[in-house]
Amino acid sequence: MNTAADREKLLEIRNLSVDFKVKGGVFTAVKGVSFDIYKGETFGLVGESGSGKTTIGRAIMRINDASSGQIFFKGRQINGRITRELDRVIMQSIQMIFQDPMASLNERAKVDYIVSEGLYNIGKAKNEEERRASVQKALLEVGLLPEFASRFPHEFSGGQRQRIGIARSLIMGPELVVADEPISALDVSIRAQVLNLLAELQRSMGLTYLFIAHDLSVVRFITDRIAVINKGEIVELAETEELFARPLHPYTRALLSAIPVPDPIMQRSKKLIRYDRGCHDYSVQGPTWREAKPGHFVLANDEELGRYRAALQADAALSES
Amino acid sequence: MNRGNPILSAGNLVVKFDLRGRILTAIRGASLDLYEGETLAIVGESGSGKSVFTKSFIGMLDTNGWIDSGSIIFEGEDIAKYHTEEQWLRVRGKKISMVFQDPMTALSPLRSVGKQIEETVVLHQGLSGKHAEYAAIELLERVGISDPAARYRQYPHEFSGGMRQRVVIAIAMACKPRILICDEPTTALDVTIQAQILSLIKALQRDFNFTTIYITHDLGVVADVADRVTVMYAGTIVERGTAEEVFYDPRHPYTWALLSSLPQLGVKGRPLYSISGTPPNLFNDIVGDAFAPRNPRALTIDFVERPPEFKVSETHFASTWLLDPRAPRVEPPAAIRSLREKYASSLAGHGTSRDAGKSKGSES
Amino acid sequence: MTAVKDEAALFAFAEFDPSAGERVGYSNYSYWRSTFRVFLKNKTAVFLLIVLGSILTFTFIQPLLPGQMNPTKIYTDPSTGMQFRNVSPGARFWFGTNSIGQDLWSRIWSGTRTSLAIGILVGLVEMFIGITYGALWGYVRSLDRALTEVFNVLDNVPTTIILMLLAYIMRPSFKTMVIAMCLTGWLGLARFVRNQIVIIRDREYNLASRCLGTPTRRIILKNLLPYLVSVIMLQTALAIPSTIGWEVFLTYIGLGLPVNIPSLGNLVNEGRLIMMSPELRYQLIFPTVVLSIITISFYVLGNAFSDASDPRNHV
Repeated sequence: MNTAADREKLLEIRNLSVDFKVKGGVFTAVKGVSFDIYKGETFGLVGESGSGKTTIGRAIMRINDASSGQIFFKGRQINGRITRELDRVIMQSIQMIFQDPMASLNERAKVDYIVSEGLYNIGKAKNEEERRASVQKALLEVGLLPEFASRFPHEFSGGQRQRIGIARSLIMGPELVVADEPISALDVSIRAQVLNLLAELQRSMGLTYLFIAHDLSVVRFITDRIAVINKGEIVELAETEELFARPLHPYTRALLSAIPVPDPIMQRSKKLIRYDRGCHDYSVQGPTWREAKPGHFVLANDEELGRYRAALQADAALSES
Repeated sequence: MNRGNPILSAGNLVVKFDLRGRILTAIRGASLDLYEGETLAIVGESGSGKSVFTKSFIGMLDTNGWIDSGSIIFEGEDIAKYHTEEQWLRVRGKKISMVFQDPMTALSPLRSVGKQIEETVVLHQGLSGKHAEYAAIELLERVGISDPAARYRQYPHEFSGGMRQRVVIAIAMACKPRILICDEPTTALDVTIQAQILSLIKALQRDFNFTTIYITHDLGVVADVADRVTVMYAGTIVERGTAEEVFYDPRHPYTWALLSSLPQLGVKGRPLYSISGTPPNLFNDIVGDAFAPRNPRALTIDFVERPPEFKVSETHFASTWLLDPRAPRVEPPAAIRSLREKYASSLAGHGTSRDAGKSKGSES
Repeated sequence: MTAVKDEAALFAFAEFDPSAGERVGYSNYSYWRSTFRVFLKNKTAVFLLIVLGSILTFTFIQPLLPGQMNPTKIYTDPSTGMQFRNVSPGARFWFGTNSIGQDLWSRIWSGTRTSLAIGILVGLVEMFIGITYGALWGYVRSLDRALTEVFNVLDNVPTTIILMLLAYIMRPSFKTMVIAMCLTGWLGLARFVRNQIVIIRDREYNLASRCLGTPTRRIILKNLLPYLVSVIMLQTALAIPSTIGWEVFLTYIGLGLPVNIPSLGNLVNEGRLIMMSPELRYQLIFPTVVLSIITISFYVLGNAFSDASDPRNHV
């Protein structure tokens, strides 16, 4: 394991806020979010609908504009106005995988065009033979047969379509891949296929993932660190096993308890924890982003932080005994 | 859970669709017994036919679909023989109600929520005017909507997803049905809301005394709600039994594959068990066991003849040649065998002796 | 003995080919094949297609047939030296003649050719302008406000006035007609295209194209327009009879094509003038019937094709 000191930061997000114009004013989807993603890791961003997780992903991809804050990729700021040269660089270096395999492919285009679409844009499609070879390679890499290139998306199942979408992103040779709920819309037995594929590709291509999801239990398998986001704010961030073993923020705990486990006896004996914003008393002091334990961050004020630290210490003492 | 005679019995149902001139056999001979007061979960993925199966119980097949053969015995009648809307209206919404996945499209955006509930109340309970209004408001309260009198006048878009689903449930309850079919009722909802809706349905089931069928692909939901589980694949039922039997002692290779491939069971660094390939094309006639091409442990006979249902226990049946006495002994994958122990340790993270659900410190 | 051996073989493990499961073709749905299938089911549309096709073919081969007369030539009876005025339809002049002795049969086909030419030409130009404007308007957010204002201004000026003004300024001719109608007719299609694009522009596959850096031009051409076939076909099909209708109207108010160029507008107008005498009514009936058939056919065909090319109807 690399120590924090010698890990390269691929993506840095500093105080990112994203506003949307809605009827009657402004809706702040993302409120001052900050986190880093290190090279080679899989960073999970977990939240429910409306939490802002997809918006963060899209802000990184420059689909949505950041209203304030900064996004750095390998040290260079990539939000706001950037040079064409930088735009080109990040287009190749950061790619996205979308959620709905039924909506993320152009129904009227052949798989051949869909997969190599990006190549046309970076001028790598001049040589027809080379292009076709790239498409073949990309399809094989995701476990599809090269003969699929001449077919249309509707001829394929959800899992296969999702893999076509992955091939489309990978053909660009990215370093960072933003995966926006890549398996939520897939059948249960297909999810394993795609997760295995993503893990395998990470190993073979040295990819870094930002894995956006709403299901903590799924994310546990693939991520190294997880950030939990609620209504535009990140409430907790820790290494995966640490988060599962010692969740601090009440929202994280409520989220964990609400996920049904596929084990009847265990599920029925589980108690549901409800999260209520009223459980926080921020009248005296508002919460800030604190490090409760090395690598384990939580949104809390002094009073809460004290309680969390005490709980962590108690837990540590118990494990040692 | 009391047994006795089933309140609904589907016998060897075959359902076909005419799609652009080609015939698709969505259900290829499925049988089901539903007992009073229980919660049955039908598990399957897309193309398994689980939705179509239950839609045929209430005559809600698309216009290009029909029941080709088989029977559905409900209250002494074979409702599979129904032809007219009139006949179906005696059953649908009255004795058998359905809750769908997307509450957005189940409610009319143009009428107030109260009016929509009232409509069903008027139709089925024969009430009118103020009485109907009170009944509707009471239903809103029953499904957990606070300040029901005020919310009665509001429109669906003023409700959140979870609240809308509660309204849909209220409408389904208005006729006090004997059977409630829930087709992926929580798939479109957040996980915290999902938990609330599931416990709401459980509570209503206790109070109103009906039988529930859940259609879902989420095995977590199944573990939460189901007494009995039916697993469907490619239009047939491959395994059925109590929840414990199906989760802890599955016998069909598809059920093994389904349970093994859950990410919750994965060990980081090692690939998840996954099923290769895709479900078969139901336009074609399927010979033998539909799951055979994707089953690494398939027998030759799986490609030749469709397996009959073999009995594992009084309540547990599976349609796989592996249960035939002549078949070789095949052990379920290692993941299945240690399912139970894996769960206990993975959830708590430390110390399995303590209750899995308890958390540290106080719960606010 | 063999029974037991067979049984043993049946219950042995089969060879497992993982790619066999992958090869499953989910469906052989072809967009265009389904479109034509749905279209052909519409018997009225197919009938009118045949009718319209026959008329169109005939208008173009008519001059090549033997024994056809010149549409502008005034025919005189060699025996009397008088013009063949207002002759009822008969063996010599199949549709009769008009008030100055021109053969109505050839005039009608010549007129149909002219009117159709205007209609189709205008239809195509309108399609081009309408799609370009509508696509940019719908997709490029920075142009939205500007293009909306321009559209609203143009839309609010009555077409009648623009056409009359233009026809008056540039003296009436084939070119004038075409230009004038092209300038006003594209608005409808532009708005439909824009509305459809606003609906589909933020779908995931378009976001994906943006992430891949696909330029706007190619997104419009390959991602958006193929989904607009239904709308475009309908508008263009309706534009043709609409154009002919405007042409008739302009002729009516005296700003149509010059009299020496036969067109359906001119013919209808001439016929209208002598509508009152029952024996001369044929001069109005023939061009009107042809005009009606064309208008109805395009209308029905446009709608039928538009419905057929909507994937939601491909059951």
